[in-house]
Amino acid sequence: MAKTQLDEVNRNIYDIKNKDNYDYKIKKGLTKEIVEEISKQKNDPDWMREIRLKALETYNKLEMPTWGPDLSELNMDEIATYVRPKSKLNSSWDDVPDDIKNTFDKLGIPEAEKTSLAGVGAQYDSEVVYHSMKDELLKQGVIYTDMETAVREYPDLVKNHFMKCVPISDHKFVALHAAVWSGGSFVYVPKGVKLDMPLQSYFRLNSPESGQFEHTLIIVEEGASLHFIEGCSAPKYNKVNLHAGCVELYVKDNAYLRYSTIENWSKNMLNLNTKKAICGKNAQVDWVSGSFGSRISMLYPMSILNGEGAKTEFTGISFAGKGQNLDNGFKAIHNAPNTSSVVNAKSISKNGGKCTYRSLIRITENAKGSKSSVSCESLMLDDFSVSDTVPTNDIRTDDVEFSHEAKIGKISDKTIFYLMSRGLSEEDAKAMIVRGFAYPISKELPVEYAVEMNNLINLELEGAIG
Amino acid sequence: MKGMLLNETPVRTSKNFNINDITIENTEVADTINEFNNVTISEFGSKIMLNEEIEKFELKYGLNEFLTNQVNKSANFKANIVVDSKTNKDIKVDFKFDKKNRNLVDAINIVANDGTKSTIVIKYDSDEEVNAYHNGIIKTIAGKQATLNVIVVNFLNNKSTNFLAIDNCIEDDANINYYIIDFGGKTSVTNYYSNIKGKNADSRLNTLYIGSEEQLIDLNYIGELFGEKSNINIEVQGALKGKARKHFKGTIDFKTGCKKATGNENENCILLSDTARSLALPMLLCSEEDVEGNHSTSSGKIAEKELFYIMSRGFKLKEALKLMVRAKFNKILEEIKDDDLKAEILEQIDKRID
Amino acid sequence: MGNLLEIKNLHAGVEDKEILKGVNLTIKPGEIHVIMGPNGSGKTTTANAILNNPQYKKTEGTIIFDGKDITNKSTDEIARRGVFMSFQLPEEIPGVSVTNFLKYAKNKVTGKPVKIFEFKKELAKYMEELNMNAKNMDRSLNVGFSGGEKKKNEILQMLVLNPKLAILDETDSGLDVDAIKTVSKGIEMFKNGNNAVLIITHNTKILHNLKVDYVHIFVDGKIVKTGKQALAKEIEENGYSKYKNLI
Repeated sequence: MAKTQLDEVNRNIYDIKNKDNYDYKIKKGLTKEIVEEISKQKNDPDWMREIRLKALETYNKLEMPTWGPDLSELNMDEIATYVRPKSKLNSSWDDVPDDIKNTFDKLGIPEAEKTSLAGVGAQYDSEVVYHSMKDELLKQGVIYTDMETAVREYPDLVKNHFMKCVPISDHKFVALHAAVWSGGSFVYVPKGVKLDMPLQSYFRLNSPESGQFEHTLIIVEEGASLHFIEGCSAPKYNKVNLHAGCVELYVKDNAYLRYSTIENWSKNMLNLNTKKAICGKNAQVDWVSGSFGSRISMLYPMSILNGEGAKTEFTGISFAGKGQNLDNGFKAIHNAPNTSSVVNAKSISKNGGKCTYRSLIRITENAKGSKSSVSCESLMLDDFSVSDTVPTNDIRTDDVEFSHEAKIGKISDKTIFYLMSRGLSEEDAKAMIVRGFAYPISKELPVEYAVEMNNLINLELEGAIG
Repeated sequence: MKGMLLNETPVRTSKNFNINDITIENTEVADTINEFNNVTISEFGSKIMLNEEIEKFELKYGLNEFLTNQVNKSANFKANIVVDSKTNKDIKVDFKFDKKNRNLVDAINIVANDGTKSTIVIKYDSDEEVNAYHNGIIKTIAGKQATLNVIVVNFLNNKSTNFLAIDNCIEDDANINYYIIDFGGKTSVTNYYSNIKGKNADSRLNTLYIGSEEQLIDLNYIGELFGEKSNINIEVQGALKGKARKHFKGTIDFKTGCKKATGNENENCILLSDTARSLALPMLLCSEEDVEGNHSTSSGKIAEKELFYIMSRGFKLKEALKLMVRAKFNKILEEIKDDDLKAEILEQIDKRID
Repeated sequence: MGNLLEIKNLHAGVEDKEILKGVNLTIKPGEIHVIMGPNGSGKTTTANAILNNPQYKKTEGTIIFDGKDITNKSTDEIARRGVFMSFQLPEEIPGVSVTNFLKYAKNKVTGKPVKIFEFKKELAKYMEELNMNAKNMDRSLNVGFSGGEKKKNEILQMLVLNPKLAILDETDSGLDVDAIKTVSKGIEMFKNGNNAVLIITHNTKILHNLKVDYVHIFVDGKIVKTGKQALAKEIEENGYSKYKNLI
């Protein structure tokens, strides 16, 4: 079976570069002066400036990870950590400058806003250029705004939660994030309010040799419910771009949060992202994650189940192609009785790409009566790609039900023959099997995103198998 | 010795997970290795050559450099076992630690020549009082179409220290079956490496462990598949009580070129107390497309329903627990053909679960 | 009328082992043929060779279908030209529903867009005739299906894809009497003057409800005897031993 290979798949809309037409771009590198300058440019209150400077100190003290993908190509001296676009924050797309608006149009954001979203935020490089939410939610007391506005208008809420779920000392790139963060979304859902349509924030990085460090802070109060979607993409450049975002989720007693991500960063991106959720009593956080882009990704969303009866589910897929090293996974800490976690992780490696599933399930002494079940499946599409499964399971009490299963393999020749005997070409047969493999994840996404994901899969498979 | 680092995994994960390696504080490493004479060797047709110079062991992994060097430099028991006849040849080596024979550093080299079939039993036992120290290396090579069974039995008392490194190499159409009965030692650390080199080579590792009191069991098993249609099976069954801790690290590594290879890893830990701790890192590494790899791990206590059922038939709780542990261990036990040995293992299970 | 399928001196096997040792078989439109024979005689190999399964290697001979040489065509092209095979062990495809699969395959076979409303109606009709649970439409293809459900699903695919030649490879094996009747009913629904059916079986039960034109006995990779329906009855009573002695 001859393989036809294209070096670079045309990634269509995702790869449209706009001119690097910024209002302000900080000089490259990471020093105290640069951090102070960012703070000044952003008009930080003193307390935030102090957090940044302290975080920089922590960053300088912490060592690089001793495990996972090789990050030696990252040189902070070559990264501009703050790029302000030529646009203020708008609440109408008409006010967003044309080149930026066109980009989001092509990504389908304003269209989706009209039909299926309760609110939208759009970030371009380091700042949010658009934020809007349906009026009725405003009346119910829902807050959905950019982080900068939240720092100014809800300082107490932010102060009590910012970098509290994810401590600054967690790892080196969290400290980096806290020092230079900019943009991101803040969501507050008051007690008992249930949103029936999702909120979505979209992050677009256009500027070459720069970083995006958005901060997402979501508080879902008791008995409230929210579905939040984040999307991200960037055009491809020759030099490294860096994304070190941070997501902090507070899911209070009996509350529900679903956090969906379609990550399609360009293949020069280092995606060193940190996401954590703290769950109260009978609360639930569900993660749905599709990881397609990035050169290197290190992302392990974590659910901390602190309240009795708290639940979490992780459903994720990674698809690594040529030159990609996607080290993704999940962490669950069971810290209270009768908590539960369910993990369904899949990966596809092709054309020399590497996928690693890395995880931690920890069931502590306090978590009697807890359950955890993990399932990992990896698909290899050729014999020069790599797929590793590296799960850690730490069980510290006896009254638990814990199980973990993993499978690795290729698409069976018999299955391909079966489909071909029904008239499908070999390429069509493989694509159908791969889409079926990804279906448990795509079915968890709103329909437009499931379509986007299938398109991404087709894009990734195009020319690469057959 | 303070803070000795050993048993590193081939692939690192987050330091915070505390599973990449272990550090043993205040290890009682024997500095002076005196004679060890309490050993019984039974030969059934095969030949064992004692105290000959053994070529220095070069291990791909091993426990750490210090312990490998200790075996290479100061072993007080050296054995070369060559199985060269095609009829069934068995050997039993029985070490018994006591006051006079406290420290054992053993180097055992087993070569099973092409087409041979053999079973080697190596047993480490101790009396109740001795503070035994064991550091050993077993190297095994199975030539083409050879079948080699190695049964390693650790019945040391719970004060002892047990270090064991196993390194094997399997040629075309050969198989090596290891059975490791890992019951004793305050600290018991095992490193197992299998080089599954040949076409159709088959590596099987079956482990039973029991941890009680404050025992620490650290298992680092690595199988690398190179040969076409080669296979590895790792089956680990264990039970933990008291404040025992177990670290299981199992790596199946499909290397490029091992087309149609298969690998299965199954680890199950029965928790018999709420202070026991089970840590596991079952890794599947794959750089070949045409393979099938599976692993599964599970931990938990014995289901109330099952216990209730057995107790309703008149068994006391303790007896019911023993029965359930025996049942879980049975799949591996029934493969051990030596009935006396099997009876001894069952007796030890009952004693240690009690 | 011309031949629909013409197999000439076919030699084929798996890896280095030759299984078919010169098979000749001609099928005309409107006919039902049956291949019977002991295990390992080459029945399934014949079916796979027609569909050019890459796991089976042809060493000699030709296969002409509908006037064209298909000996070395790819499986999907052979399928698109109108050959269908019902598998002994249908593959499971997680995440792809029966409906979506059939819609996609129908589109590939006909080369025309499939009108979803009519298609679903057609599907529902066939499922009812075949005594299938309508819920199966939305389930992943063959995943968690019982043996009988899988076989019925193969017949459903045959009806939907409407090939010129349907090869049923032991579709009746492992089925109970009612299910065999359903399969026969499916064949009757499918059959017309322009298409043909090749039934591979161990078992003559499936033939009781069908009017068969030819019965071929396979022994050791060759057809050793061809007859009419009565030959099947004879096999039912006496087995293959008589024919084994022919070689």
